[in-house]
Order: sequence, then structure tokens, then C-alpha cells
Amino acid sequence: MREKIEERFQISPFLALYAIVSMQIGIGVLGFQRIISMEAGYDAWISVLLSGISIHAIVWMMYKICETAEGDAVTANLFAYGSMIGKGVSFLFILYFIILSVAILRGYIEVIQVWVFPELSVWGFAAVFLVLVIYIIYGGFRTVVGIAFFGLVLPAYLLLVFGFAFRYSDFTNLLPILDHTPIQLLKSSFHMSLTYMGFEVLLFIYPYIKKPEQSKKWVHFGVIITTVFYTAIAVITFAYFSEKLLQKSIWATLDMWKIVNMPFVERFEYIGIANWVLIILPNVCLCIWSASRIMKQIFPLRQRKAVIIIAIVCLIIVGLLDTRQQVNMFMDLTGKIGFILNYLYVPFLFVSVLIARKVKKK
Amino acid sequence: MKLAMSSLLIVSIMMLAGCVEKEVIDDVNIAMGLGYDLEGDEVLGTAMIPVYKAESIENFIFSSKGKISRELIFRMRHKSGQPIVTGSLEIAFFGDKLAKKGIVAFIDAFQRDPSIGSRVYLAVVDGTAQEVLKGSYGNRGNADYFSGLFQHNEEQGNLPLTNIHQFLFDYYQQGQDPFLPLLKKRKDLVEITGLAVFKDQNMVEVVTADEMFYFKLINDKFSRGTVRTEIDSDEVIVRNIRSQHKMELSGRNPWEFTVHITVNGTIQEYSGKFMGPKEVKKVQKALEKQIEEESLKLITRMQEYKVDPFGFGHFAKTRTRGFDFKKWKSDYPNAKFEVKANVIIKEVGIVE
Amino acid sequence: MGNFFKRTTKPKLKDKQTPGAKEKQSSSQSLSSENWETALSKSNDFKKMHYISQKSGRPFTIVFISSLVDDSIINEFILPGLLTGNFDEAADVKKLVPAADVQLSSDPKDIETKLLSGYVMLTVGENTNELVFIAAKKQINRSISPPEVEFSVIGPKEAFVESIDQNLYLIRKRLPIKELVVENLQVGKLSKTHIAILYIDHLVDRTNVQTVVQRIKDIEFDEISDSSYIVQMISDNENSPFPQLLDSERPDRISAVLAEGKVAILVDGSPHALVGPTTLAEFYSSFEDYYLNWLISVFFRLIRFFSVIFSLLVTPVYVAVLSYHYELIPKDLLGTLITSRRVVPFPPILEALILELTIELLREAGARLPTKVGQTIGIVGGIVIGTASVEAGLTSNVLLIIIALAALASFTTPIYRMGNTIRLLRFPFLLMAELWGLVGILIGFAFLLTHLLRLTSLGRPYLEPMYPPRISDFRDAIVRLSFKKQSKRPQFLRTENTTRFSKKKGEQKKDIDE
Repeated sequence: MREKIEERFQISPFLALYAIVSMQIGIGVLGFQRIISMEAGYDAWISVLLSGISIHAIVWMMYKICETAEGDAVTANLFAYGSMIGKGVSFLFILYFIILSVAILRGYIEVIQVWVFPELSVWGFAAVFLVLVIYIIYGGFRTVVGIAFFGLVLPAYLLLVFGFAFRYSDFTNLLPILDHTPIQLLKSSFHMSLTYMGFEVLLFIYPYIKKPEQSKKWVHFGVIITTVFYTAIAVITFAYFSEKLLQKSIWATLDMWKIVNMPFVERFEYIGIANWVLIILPNVCLCIWSASRIMKQIFPLRQRKAVIIIAIVCLIIVGLLDTRQQVNMFMDLTGKIGFILNYLYVPFLFVSVLIARKVKKK
Repeated sequence: MKLAMSSLLIVSIMMLAGCVEKEVIDDVNIAMGLGYDLEGDEVLGTAMIPVYKAESIENFIFSSKGKISRELIFRMRHKSGQPIVTGSLEIAFFGDKLAKKGIVAFIDAFQRDPSIGSRVYLAVVDGTAQEVLKGSYGNRGNADYFSGLFQHNEEQGNLPLTNIHQFLFDYYQQGQDPFLPLLKKRKDLVEITGLAVFKDQNMVEVVTADEMFYFKLINDKFSRGTVRTEIDSDEVIVRNIRSQHKMELSGRNPWEFTVHITVNGTIQEYSGKFMGPKEVKKVQKALEKQIEEESLKLITRMQEYKVDPFGFGHFAKTRTRGFDFKKWKSDYPNAKFEVKANVIIKEVGIVE
Repeated sequence: MGNFFKRTTKPKLKDKQTPGAKEKQSSSQSLSSENWETALSKSNDFKKMHYISQKSGRPFTIVFISSLVDDSIINEFILPGLLTGNFDEAADVKKLVPAADVQLSSDPKDIETKLLSGYVMLTVGENTNELVFIAAKKQINRSISPPEVEFSVIGPKEAFVESIDQNLYLIRKRLPIKELVVENLQVGKLSKTHIAILYIDHLVDRTNVQTVVQRIKDIEFDEISDSSYIVQMISDNENSPFPQLLDSERPDRISAVLAEGKVAILVDGSPHALVGPTTLAEFYSSFEDYYLNWLISVFFRLIRFFSVIFSLLVTPVYVAVLSYHYELIPKDLLGTLITSRRVVPFPPILEALILELTIELLREAGARLPTKVGQTIGIVGGIVIGTASVEAGLTSNVLLIIIALAALASFTTPIYRMGNTIRLLRFPFLLMAELWGLVGILIGFAFLLTHLLRLTSLGRPYLEPMYPPRISDFRDAIVRLSFKKQSKRPQFLRTENTTRFSKKKGEQKKDIDE
């Protein structure tokens, strides 16, 4: 199983940063503030930092797993559990990535439907979007990472837009600091970790990184960037909304953009929503790419076909989610599965791989 | 061949998936102002729609009666040749009768509608909103007139920062009450006559135009404005270039607050003869005293009405762990206040 | 879709054939098996003359095609020597004829090719096995003229012409070094077009040269008129509207890129040379940029990049905003837009399409007509049609301004071929804007971005240095930094020698007043 990926298909170590960061920043940015402040109030920014720190530990484990197994998570699963169970567990990852990409895509369509086009056909948009995704994945992993790169760099100007909120923000909202119990903070951290989700693709892109050893610092640096980013957004949001007002705002980030006013653009959130295409595109691409890559490894199937199969499955599920309730439930479910994978399964695999190595050495 | 196939696929998906509702700018009536008045049991809604002519912008009014905001617009559509849309809303006015009864149901409709921006100016009208919206104020259209009226008074005049976001922020902030500008129609024009202060969602008290300067000093992070004072029976007009305020919690039982106000000003007009360093000092002293007295008067008046537009409750909360808002409600009328002003006159103009 | 790597993955087994073998093979390919003499004697310009040498009395025959051969060379250099000289056999001719290119051959297969490329064939006596070929090619060339497509105010005023020899001369004189290699190839079953591949040895990445040579050898076509044929045939992705090789008519540009480590292709009969590998950014650099101060050229390049984006997106954004997102329009502008659209009976998309097509019509008509008439058409079209359609209420004057600006912006692209691409791409964007407003435009943009990401030029990423991100290559891509800063060759070319000049010398800093 330890096939070596040819160098011309691999990416430079620092590009791993873009893959991870663009995976972590997605549809969640538009409305995570309300959810995290439900538990810990305006102390929730501390939870943002906390769960950001916890990710470093998970990333460290992921690297250890991949290094020991000399390959991606599929190799690691086979390494630790043998062929049958290993493949079975890997298959679960395919399902997870399908669910995740559906949640992202459907979440975005929901935003468009609420804010811009109430009549937008869900499956029509999803179909065009998935054709785009297939087109990208057919270009190979380098193209996928290219999209991740541009999906991060091009919309970066959106950060400046938050500056408009300063005039209307009151940073005393955050005071007094630590007015909530540690339990509340932890609960809020749990909610936040769902927004951070996505870095698990690292387990699968690992073999595609040139000199993975060097990429470590970049990935950790990327996680720091995301943490700082989310903390900053959380703080600005908390200053801009009074606490009860935030509880009414499902998409707080978009609500904040409503205050933006430029000489040539009166309202910014429409531009922001349209730009979000570029932000969720790498998410879906990396998810489907990972799923198809696992599929290629555990079934005798070409990746070209795998991508199409997965895209069709995604399209069907996206079409089935009809109402806001269903979408929310689905996203909750995805978050929970993701949490289990990242915070329970990864440490478990980590331990199993270490044990397996010991056993095999003997 | 593959290329042709895939492009065909994409195009056909788009054809099938396409068609979202269009709102072409010249095929809709863009409501720029909305007004709500209480009439008996029902609410009289008014939509102000600009009609663009080659030379000028004329004003067109739709009105209808109903119970709630969306119903009003829905009924107006029955009368209009093109759909009425509210995405470019600039202003929304409430008649004072309605303001006393409560306006949050209407503002909730604004908040719920993604097409309405956060910079919409809200105001209470002394009289009916309809009469204000019906007028015609200049070639550039009513919307331009109203938003200009608010904007320049906020930036240079005595009007505190206000828009729908600010209102909602205050309304939902615990330990703070919202306020809105108060308008009155005078012949051809509309005047800002003061501020309407709300308790929850009901208008309870009015701040007069003269008090607005002090209101702004305590309320806004940075404020500007113009104030009149007297030294030795000579009139002085001082323009506030930039001021800051700082609240201080000086006691907890009963609650004691000190408000520090720093004003950087220039003298704009002086009816006396000579403005030397001595006179400048006098002006500073006189203005400090005036600000302290008037501000304190304003704060205690608000306290009497049990409204807290300056957010003393919120401020107390930021300095207290486990703050109890219920207790604050009963404590507020007994709270003690002190205002300390510091006036710095930076310039006296280009003559002495 | 999916055939992007076809060319690069083509097995390179054929490479084993030596160039000579290939050439022979192609020259023997002829339409009929007719004898060369019977075939050629059908033409009137085929001449076969018999003479007798006055001194030795040996009869000899010269054969040539009069339209290809310079009469004066025969009259002044070949015949006098032969008629008065003393020779017995073919090998002696070399002494008598004062010409540089005299070849002896005994291979009858050469006859056809040589005759058709302007040689005079000489046989002595009855011995037709000993052939002498004397070069007497007629030189009819356009004189070197100033560049028209890539005109520059400052800098050399030379442009390539249709003769490959002259073009080679123009490059050689700028790069008088032994490392400049010119490899010759011949393609085209009928046209037998000469192609020269130029590169600087020990500097260029050999794989680039091999790719070019291989792809040109693989060309199967009968008649090749111009280098643009070659561009389309050897592109990495033929189905892309983006040109993947840079074409230039400026010898100064070609020598500069050769020095960077790129490969140039000259095609006989074409005044445009090709350069590869190239990047998207290179298409937006005019060579005049290097003749101006770097600050100014940075400004101009940024303007050009801005104008591409502007020209590509402004009409779609107009359509999107006016059809779907009126909320975006500031209220001061709202009046202007509504007033201008009030009498227009069409929806924004139709209005935009009509105007866009009008502009394309004008451009096409202007391009097809002789220069003088073309200008008239431009004026008539611009002023009369524009004003009239606004007055008649068919289009809004705001859109007219926007479209005219967009057209103007699209003409700032220094490489003509790329300008066309941008104008074409506007239409899919318009449709996307009509479909889903701004979201549609962004989806379209994502497709475009993906296409560019997948695109390669001779196997090198097309979007470099944006992606893969290489900060050091930015110094001469979107911006052009001063020459001091250009001490390294572009990274993506993977040159064998990366240093252009010693950085130390270039960056010596002096203290105040030293």
C-alpha cells in the first residue's frame, strides 16, 4: 500500500497551510458567533482560543499517525487493524466526507436562499457547483490546492470590511471577563470545535506533501492563523451586537456587513455572499477529493469514476434536504460526527498505530 | 467531444435550474421611506417612493391600513403598477401616538428582512409620519433630504449617532434603553426637535433640542456639536471639535457614578469685544459649569422616568461579576450621579 | 475536459529517430511516384539548359526553376566560370564557381528538394550520378519595418519579417554567443515549412527544448502558413481560448526571453516568433515596460491588470446588479441609472448583449476593411450608432459608457491574441450574471480560475507566480522591479544557470557623499 506519489503531483510544504486554513474557514464563519455565545455569553472568545489550542494536539497526533504508517489514514487503518477492519473504518471516512461536503454546500445554498434568491433551485445550483468541483478535482491535487490557495487569498479583502463595524461597536460588552463557569466555557468550546472542523483532511493529503516534515510548522502556523481569525471575528461581533441582539441573529457576520457603506456600494453582504463561493469551494473540493481518494484505495476503482459517484451521491442528499429544520439537523449531525472523528477516533488511532508498531517490530 | 458533452451538460443544467425572480431597477417601485401612524385600532402605513424625472426627483406616496408591517406593504402592492420593494430603504418614521404604544413589532419586520440595511434612519414624528413623508423637499428627492438631515447633524451637529442598528443594540442591551430622533414638520421643512427616549419599546420622554448637546456628550464615544454659553453677559458660541466621556463607578451601595467629560472646542462667535487668554479661561470655566449642571439635570430627569439611555446599568454590569439586572431595576432610581467636565479651548478663530 | 495532459504524457519513444532520418522520410513523401523531371517539366518555370565548356569542350547541363533562382547569380558567377574554365568532372566545379554553397551529391533523392529550394543543379557530360548543387536562391524580402502590433514609442523599431534567415539574423546580432543554438526542423507535407528552434545552451532547461522539438515533430499537417498554426498545434490544451505560447514580432523581446532561459520558435514565412513556456502575466507585459523606469512600468502593468478585470466583469456586474441586486446601488447613483434606463424597453441582459455585439461588429468590420475605411467605420459606429441608439431609447447611456470603456480596456492588452480571449470570455460571464446575479459571476469566475489553474504552457503552470506562489518571480510578473532586483532568472523555467548577474555588484550601497 505504500505507494509513493510522484513528485510532480505533490505540493510544496507551505501550501499545506492553505489547504488546512481554507478547510477550516468555511460556512461556519457566517454564523458561529451566536452558537458559541449561547453557553458562555460574551466570554466565548476564550472558548475560541481554547478549542484552537486543542487542535494543535490533534494535528500533532495526525502527523505521528501518518509518519508511523508512512502514508495517509487509510494506510494507518490497515496498518493498525488489518485489511478487513481497516477498510471498513476507512469507508466510514468516505461517508463522513460526503456528509461534510453536503452540509457545507447545503448550508451555503440556505444562505443564498434566505439572503438573495428565495426561489433558487437547490439541486440546480448544487449540480452546477458539483460540476465545477469535478472539473477542479480532475485537474489533480495541485489544482485542488490551487483553489484552496485562491479561495483564501482572493476573499481576504473581506477582512477589511469588518473595519466598518468599529464605529458602532462597544468593546465594554466583553466585560467583565470570565463571568462564566469553566463548564460553560468548555461547552462553548465544543460548539466552536465544530466550526474549526475540516483539518482532518490532513490525514489524507499527507502523502501529497513534499517533505512532510517541513510542512508541520506550516500546518501549526495555519491553525494559529485560523484561531486568531476566529477570535478576532468573535471579539468584533461581540462588540458590535449587544448580547440579546446577537441571540436573534442567525448569520451575525452577514448582519455586520449590513452596516458597510462605500461610495460605490451601499450594501456589502450581497457581494460577501457571492464571494463566499470561493471560500466554500475548496472545502467541498478537498472533502470530495479525500473521499474519492479513499475510495480509490479501498475499492478497485479509478479516482475519476469515484469522484463522479461521490458527486452524484452528494447531489441526491443535497436535494433531499428541504427545510431549514432538516438542514440544521443535518449540520448538527455532521458536527457531532466530525467531533467524534477528530477528538475520539484520531487519538484512538494514534494509540493503535503506536501499539501496532511495537507489535510488528517484535 | 468530451468538452462539447460537458459544456452541453452544464448549459442544460443551467437552463433547467435557472430562473430566479428578478428585480430590475426600473421595473420596481423602490420605497425609500416608510411611515407608520396609529389610526384607531389599525396602523396607517405610508411608503415614500421617488419618481425619477429627467430634471428632478418627485415624490410619490402609497398608503394603506393594516395591523402589521408586511401586511401594509402587501396591501400597497394592490394599488401599485410595479411591485414595491424595500431593499433601498433609507428612513422609517413613526407617529408619536404609535411610538407611545410600541414600535418593536415594526422594527422586528425590518430586522427579519435581509434586504433592509443596518443604516436605515428611524425617527419619531411629533404629529403623523404621513404628513412628513408627503411633503416635497427639494430637487434631489425626499430620501436624500432626510438622510442628509440626519447624517450631517450626526457628524457635525448635536444629534447623537442613530440608526436601526443603534436602536436595536440599545433595545437589546440589558441596562440600556433606546432613543430616536424626534421630528416635527414646520411649513415646508422638517426640523429635528429633540430625542424621543424609550422605555422598552414605548416612547416615554422627550429630550429637547437644547439638551441634545449634553445627551450626545454622554452617549457617543466621540462627539461633536455646538453649544452656547455666557461670560459677563456676553454670548459665546463654542464648537465642540472632539469630546470624549468616561464613566467611573465610584460606589456600589448605593450605586454611584461619575461621568468625566472632556471637550476640545473652538470659539466660533463672541459678542464681546476682546477674546484674550483671560476670557478664554472664563469661557472654559463657564462651559465646564454649564456642562456639569445641564448633564446632571438630564441624567436625573431620565432617572426619574426610570429610563437609562446612557447605559449606566450596562456599565455597572461590566464592572461587576454576577450582575443582577432585576436588582438594578429597583436600585436605579436611587443611584447617585456626578458629572465632571474638562473644557479645553484650542482655538479662538483667526481674530483675537 | 480530461485531455489536458494528453500531450505531455505522449510517449517520447519517437524521439529516438534522428532528425535527418525524419527529414529524409518527409522529403520522400510526395503525392505521386512520378519522376521529378516529368513532374517539374509541366511547369513553365522549369529550365534545363545544355552548354559546352569552351576550354575543355565538355558538355554540361544546368537545371533550375527560374522563379526560385536569381538570374544574376547564374549569369555572373556560374556560367562564366564554367564556360571559360577547365574541368573534367563534377568535383572540379567547386574550383570554378565562386559561390559559398556548392554541394556535391550522388543521391537522386536530393534533386527534388534542392531544386525546389532554389539550387541550381549541374551535371557534367552524360554522368548523371555526379550532381553539383549550387545555391542561387532568389532573395525577395520585405525590408525590415517597425513593429505594428507591438508598437512601442521608445526602443528598437525593428520587427520580424517573413524570411526566417533575416529573423535569425535579427536575433543572432543581439546574442552573439556560441551558446545560442538554432535547431532546424521541417514540417508540413506540402508546405515543407522550415522551423527554427532557438535556445541558449547551458541555460535553458533541456526538457523544455525536448518538449518543443517533440511536439513539432509530431505535427501532421499539409500546409503551414504561419506560426499561429504551430501555436495551436503544439499547445498543451487546444480547447482553451487562452494562448499558451507567447507570440511576438519584436526581435528585442525574443532575445530578452531567450536570455531568461525560454525557448523560441521561428517559422519561415511568419513575422511572429513564438516563446514558451509562458505565463498569463507575461501576456500583460508589453516590452516597452523594460524601456521605462520601473516605477512607471509597474504603474502601467497594474493599469493593464485592472483593465482586464474591468473589461471582463463590468458588463456582467451591470447586468447582475440591475437585474437582481438593486440594494447595492448607492441612492445617488440609483437616480442616474433609473433615469437612463427608464425608456429602454429591454431587460438589462438584452440591452448589454445588443451593445456588446455592436462593439464586436464594429471591431470586426474595422479589422476586415482597409485601414482608411476602417477608421471611418470606427467613427461612424462609435458616434452615430451610439448616440442614435441612446436617443432612440434602445439602450441606456450609462451602459453605453460602460461598454465603450470595457472595449477600450480590452485593447490595452499588449498581446493581440490575449485581447481576443478576454472579449470572448465576457459572454459566458454575461450569461452567468443573468442566471444568478453576482453569485453566478463568482461561479463563472471559479470556472475560469480552475481552467487557468489546470492550464500549462509546455508543462509549466500557467498561473505562475500567483500559483504555485513564488514570491521571487513576482519581480517581473504583475510588477516589474528595477533591473538591480532582477539578478535571478524566473524560477518556473528551472534554468540550469539561475543567476543573471552577480547581485553583489548590482547592489553595492554607497554611504552618503561617497
